[in-house]
Amino acid sequence: SYLSVFCLGPGAGQDVGRSCILVSIAGKNVMLDCGMHMGYNDDRRFPDFSYITQNGRLTDFLDCVIISHFHLDHCGALPYFSEMVGYDGPIYMTHPTKAICPILLEDYRKITVDKKGETNFFTSQMIKDCMKKVVAVHLHQTVQVDEELEIKAYYAGHVLGAAMFQIKVGCESVVYTGDYNMTPDRHLGAAWIDKCRPDLLISESTYATTIRDSKRCRERDFLKKVHETVERGGKVLIPVFALGRAQELCILLETFWERMNLKAPIYFSTGLTEKANHYYKLFITWTNQKIRKTFVQRNMFEFKHIKAFDRAFADNPGPMVVFATPGMLHAGQSLQIFRKWAGNEKNMVIMPGYCVQGTVGHKILSGQRKLEMEGRQILEVKMQVEYMSFSAHADAKGIMQLIRQAEPRNVLLVHGEAKKMEFLKQKIEQEFHVNCYMPANGETTTIFTNPSIPVDISLGLLKRETAIGLLPDVKKPKLMHGTLIMKDNSFRLVSPEQALKELGLAEHQLRFTCRVHIQDPRKEHETVLRVYNHLKGVLKDYSVQHLPDGSITVESILIQATAHSEDQGTKVLLVSWTYQVGILENILFKHLCS
Amino acid sequence: MSVQLSWFVARARRRFAMSRECSLLLPRVCAALADPRQPGSDDTCLEKLLDWFRHLAAFDPTEKLVQDNPCLTEFITSVLALPEPSPSILSFTLRLAGILAASENRFQHLQQEKLLVRLFGRDGPLNSAMWEDASVRSGWVEGVHSMMHHQPALHFLCNGGGIDVIFTLQGDPSLFVASAASQLLVHVLTFSVEAEATKPLSTKDCDWPASAQMIIKHIEDSLQSSSASHIKQSLKLLTSLFGSCHATWTEVLWLGIAKQIESFLTEETVQAQHMLANLLLNMAWSPVFCDTEGSFWALVTSALERLTPVQAGPLAVGILRLYKCPQDVRIQALTVLLQPMDCILRAASQPLEYTGLLDESVSDPITVESLLSSKSSCASLLCQTLAHLEELLSLIRLPVDLPYTSLLRSLITILQFCNGFLSPASPLGSTISRILINCFRVQRSALDVLAALSERKGCDTLIGSLFDVLLAYLESPNTSPTVLKKTFQATSKWLVRLQELSCSNSQWQQTEKILEDVFLVLQKRLCSPCWEVRDSSLEFLTVLIKCLRDQDEFRQSLLSSEVPRLTENLLEDPESYVRASAVTAVGHLAFITYFAPESPVIGNQCNKENTVAKLQEILSTDSEGFPRRAVISIFTKWLRQGCTGQLEDTEQFVSRVIQTVEHDLDWEVRRGGLELVEVFCSQTVCQLGLSECPYAPVSSAVSSSIHQNELLQIFCRAKVFSFLFRSLCDCDKPVGQRACDILLGLRDNFYPVSTLKDSQGTGDSPAGRGIAWLQRTLGQGSLAQNFPTDDGNGVDFQDPESMMIVLGTIDLEELHDELNKSSDHMEKSPQSLLQDILATVGTTEENEADCY
Repeated sequence: SYLSVFCLGPGAGQDVGRSCILVSIAGKNVMLDCGMHMGYNDDRRFPDFSYITQNGRLTDFLDCVIISHFHLDHCGALPYFSEMVGYDGPIYMTHPTKAICPILLEDYRKITVDKKGETNFFTSQMIKDCMKKVVAVHLHQTVQVDEELEIKAYYAGHVLGAAMFQIKVGCESVVYTGDYNMTPDRHLGAAWIDKCRPDLLISESTYATTIRDSKRCRERDFLKKVHETVERGGKVLIPVFALGRAQELCILLETFWERMNLKAPIYFSTGLTEKANHYYKLFITWTNQKIRKTFVQRNMFEFKHIKAFDRAFADNPGPMVVFATPGMLHAGQSLQIFRKWAGNEKNMVIMPGYCVQGTVGHKILSGQRKLEMEGRQILEVKMQVEYMSFSAHADAKGIMQLIRQAEPRNVLLVHGEAKKMEFLKQKIEQEFHVNCYMPANGETTTIFTNPSIPVDISLGLLKRETAIGLLPDVKKPKLMHGTLIMKDNSFRLVSPEQALKELGLAEHQLRFTCRVHIQDPRKEHETVLRVYNHLKGVLKDYSVQHLPDGSITVESILIQATAHSEDQGTKVLLVSWTYQVGILENILFKHLCS
Repeated sequence: MSVQLSWFVARARRRFAMSRECSLLLPRVCAALADPRQPGSDDTCLEKLLDWFRHLAAFDPTEKLVQDNPCLTEFITSVLALPEPSPSILSFTLRLAGILAASENRFQHLQQEKLLVRLFGRDGPLNSAMWEDASVRSGWVEGVHSMMHHQPALHFLCNGGGIDVIFTLQGDPSLFVASAASQLLVHVLTFSVEAEATKPLSTKDCDWPASAQMIIKHIEDSLQSSSASHIKQSLKLLTSLFGSCHATWTEVLWLGIAKQIESFLTEETVQAQHMLANLLLNMAWSPVFCDTEGSFWALVTSALERLTPVQAGPLAVGILRLYKCPQDVRIQALTVLLQPMDCILRAASQPLEYTGLLDESVSDPITVESLLSSKSSCASLLCQTLAHLEELLSLIRLPVDLPYTSLLRSLITILQFCNGFLSPASPLGSTISRILINCFRVQRSALDVLAALSERKGCDTLIGSLFDVLLAYLESPNTSPTVLKKTFQATSKWLVRLQELSCSNSQWQQTEKILEDVFLVLQKRLCSPCWEVRDSSLEFLTVLIKCLRDQDEFRQSLLSSEVPRLTENLLEDPESYVRASAVTAVGHLAFITYFAPESPVIGNQCNKENTVAKLQEILSTDSEGFPRRAVISIFTKWLRQGCTGQLEDTEQFVSRVIQTVEHDLDWEVRRGGLELVEVFCSQTVCQLGLSECPYAPVSSAVSSSIHQNELLQIFCRAKVFSFLFRSLCDCDKPVGQRACDILLGLRDNFYPVSTLKDSQGTGDSPAGRGIAWLQRTLGQGSLAQNFPTDDGNGVDFQDPESMMIVLGTIDLEELHDELNKSSDHMEKSPQSLLQDILATVGTTEENEADCY
């Protein structure tokens, strides 16, 4: 038995960008994540699903799609896949992911259609129709996709609702981590999985070689920079996407403002905050213990200091902090505010996330300070530009820790750079003595598994076996003959007679025949007599008979003699036997030929 | 070339041209890319750079690009000189070289410098350790593919042994590389025959050009080999060849291999039945083969007979879509598709009760029966068959007649099996019903076909039992939300059909009973705890109202049910998607309640006002975009259909809506507001008789200045101008664009094109100063906001006279062009790309990607 993994990423390489993995396990096909690459604005942004459709209709070929979390590089192509490419089967994700996913997809769709010439993109209605097909799952709930395929979600940290999934068919299983984080952060706990010993663990390896400095340091750094700017009367712009990192930073600032008793206003520009915060409240059980504990006294997501933003506020004098969308500074409100504030060196922009080439965000991050805007206007950026990564992925230590927890038989690394993955691969192979794979996108990795398949044995067969031998003994395995019936995915060992009866088949006998040429000028019946006497003499333990029609039988073997049509001096012995005879025909031939 | 096409080409040429700035930046970019000390550039940058070179190379086939930019060849040379280039840079170089070598001139130029041999020849990356990397192999294949547009390139490939490399790459572990290699061989073969064949090829005298000969021999050898993978590679190659190339020579090629292909089918030595089906399908669609008498179609028939139903399904449906095809092949194909449905009918009924779908002489049900009675294959065979049937039924003109009534009966039977309503006594029937019970996949597929079947005539006798099944699905608590959605879709289609029928045969009673039952079950579904179900129910209601609102029985049944009340309740649903759907449904309900002259609730002004007030409230206070978007779109619909006049003064209504939406955070709501304004303007212009159709520019001077003035006053009172001009400065481009379009349309009503120039002198009047300010403000684009409207510098948007002058003065065309450049004007320019690549030079610290 084997299982295979196919990474449907962009182009042939280990490019980071969009996750889409196809796993075949015991005849079931599962797609793990359905991500998009935000760096492109043509067909290249979505995985090339034609590699899957080669196998026939998607809905027939795939048994289900599983989404690990709401980031667009893991779910961004889903509405395209289900509403435009035509997948109509089940989609699984956790409850928070199902709630938050459409917000992010909608956010990105709005930004995308804002750009000119963007076609072949999904609509709002498609996002909704897609989400209506989603089956939401709880943590540790075993979900039966069909009679054989079951899945189970485990907590992954990383972002609200992120999950690792175990996919199991019979006794074969695969664990897919998605993105995960092995250390708890300000609002989420650490990933956890039980010792499920899967045949394969597919792990992300974004930070494969890095041992990350503590997130606390980065948070302190962030607060320090914001504080300094506000203290000197400057304005801080934080371009974000509607959900995810934004909430984390809000908690951070809210707590800091409270502690330091700061007065400068903090605004959140998007109308989606309420919904986002609503979800964080709703899924409080998914956050970490500290937040859950304090929830009783005070809800972390009901912010005292953070207020809704109005366009007119941007011109107000004095310090302020503004969270505005979109996160890459390429359109909409965040870009508008940036243009207003860019000229003042007292101000600061903090980019907490990835920016696509060509966006203002990308340009200022790479150090460009004179930007050409529409109408050939040059915008001089004097404000400070900071990049802060708060992304929560497992580092090398964390990945090793997860392997120790799950004890997989094989490991497969995805979502990382080739060089970094190579280092980690060696480390994993050395420490755990398991095979570690790191396939390039487009390559299929096949892993042979050794599943033990339970077989039911009929009582009749067991009784017969015990009748002729000793009682069964666990310590002494015994060879048993029977007919294996594979029907409706169950295996049964029965006696051949029972099998014939059950399947309504008639018994046929297979006979083997062979001609042996003997130089003997005598008459045929004399030759037969000679052979008979010879065999009677040497095969004393067997029943050898000379029949009235002139043929000889040795048990069930039949021997007849005829004269050769062309050469009367040669006699032809026709020997015919069934497969049941076993070694007897060998003995017989030895004697006949001698 | 059409005028439009040449305009697009010229625009693209301008957009991607090598500007002076770019040619200055390019050498530094090349140097940075070839520098191994620099961190690797973002993959998307390299891809976009190649896109640009592809455009440049396509627009000018001369050597100019490489001559003017020697840095390109220098770049290739320096990458080749690197002891260990990064795979991504090497792959980029291979692809770049291929793009440059696509024209013969540049090919020769690169050849002279021996660059192509070093990149694509035996001593290049091909024989280095770098070849292990899939991206390098992929780059090599892409590079060769790009250059394969002239004979010197073809000779270079074939003489240098490159073709053997491609043969090998067909079996590459990377599916991307293998697939690209196969495509490349198809391209080389086609190109070789088209460019090099000296005379038309015929079966008698088959003189293939050398390169084509190599590939054809390879195909023939592989097909005769004992290696299954080689055979499959060649089948794949032939499939894409016959799919893309429809030249007559493909028949000559086919005749050479037909026997071999046939033997695969008859002897089944290779497990490639799917591929054989695809190959035959592509050939059947090629004009080269569709006319052939005899042998080809005999092979297709034989394939349809020999392949299993699952393997033959795609071939069968492809054949049935053909208009030109022998009748016996068509019958065979139809048999493949209908056999499972036939089998279902036979399994469900007493032999004498119904005849099956198929004539017994053509039907061989044993294989299908055994597939349907096995748990592992039953659902997949049915789903595939149903999907194929849906595909056929979705064709407007079907080349073949389907037995619609029996098909419908078999669908009803499947659906009954699935919900356990039918468990026949026959052994096959009981097996199938046991397998199918609660099988959502089959339910969904069957309901899709059912919906598609409603468009076809001839199923009317079964309509009663059909609705029994549909209602059972709608009622059953076991129906999953996705199945329920499909049931709603099928039900709405068949209800429309039912109405048509009852109109023609006056069987109103049956219709009324069915409608009553539907609304009863809809009442329950509207109260479902599952938001998906509530949403699908509301969508279903909206579709029904759209299609059936003119039918009395429908209106009566609906209004006498609890559905309208429950729908209004859902305006306060906790789920925003449901609120939005409820808004749409309530909006449509209004057409038969409040706005219909003969409606029983017409007098209920209070209810009407309550509903409108509720929608207004949602528009101004709902925290999420979907419901607000739904409200503005319903208001626009009402306005368009002339219903708002029944509410209050339309002018006041529009004015109030404008004031609500202009500060909305969702740009789609703001754009929705502009749509409303557009309809309002168009209607007002028409009412005053200024223009017969919306936005048609008047040919002569405006007919009546009295009307013109009145019009301006109405627009000013409704605050249309202030909304439109503010929207021009919206931070979201689509809003500005829409506002500009509307203003342009409006202006044409006041200023015929010929008179426009004359009015553009504004003098030093206060109005003139205001206009100058407005021009400056608009020039700043989305930076501008907080229009001061009443101080000395501003423009009074309520003053008709000022507005008249403003419309004539502001250069809306220029503004329109500026807005259409959009926010990606800057992003997509090659210069911006080059600057971005250069900017990352020297940054040692990589920004860790934190993808959203």
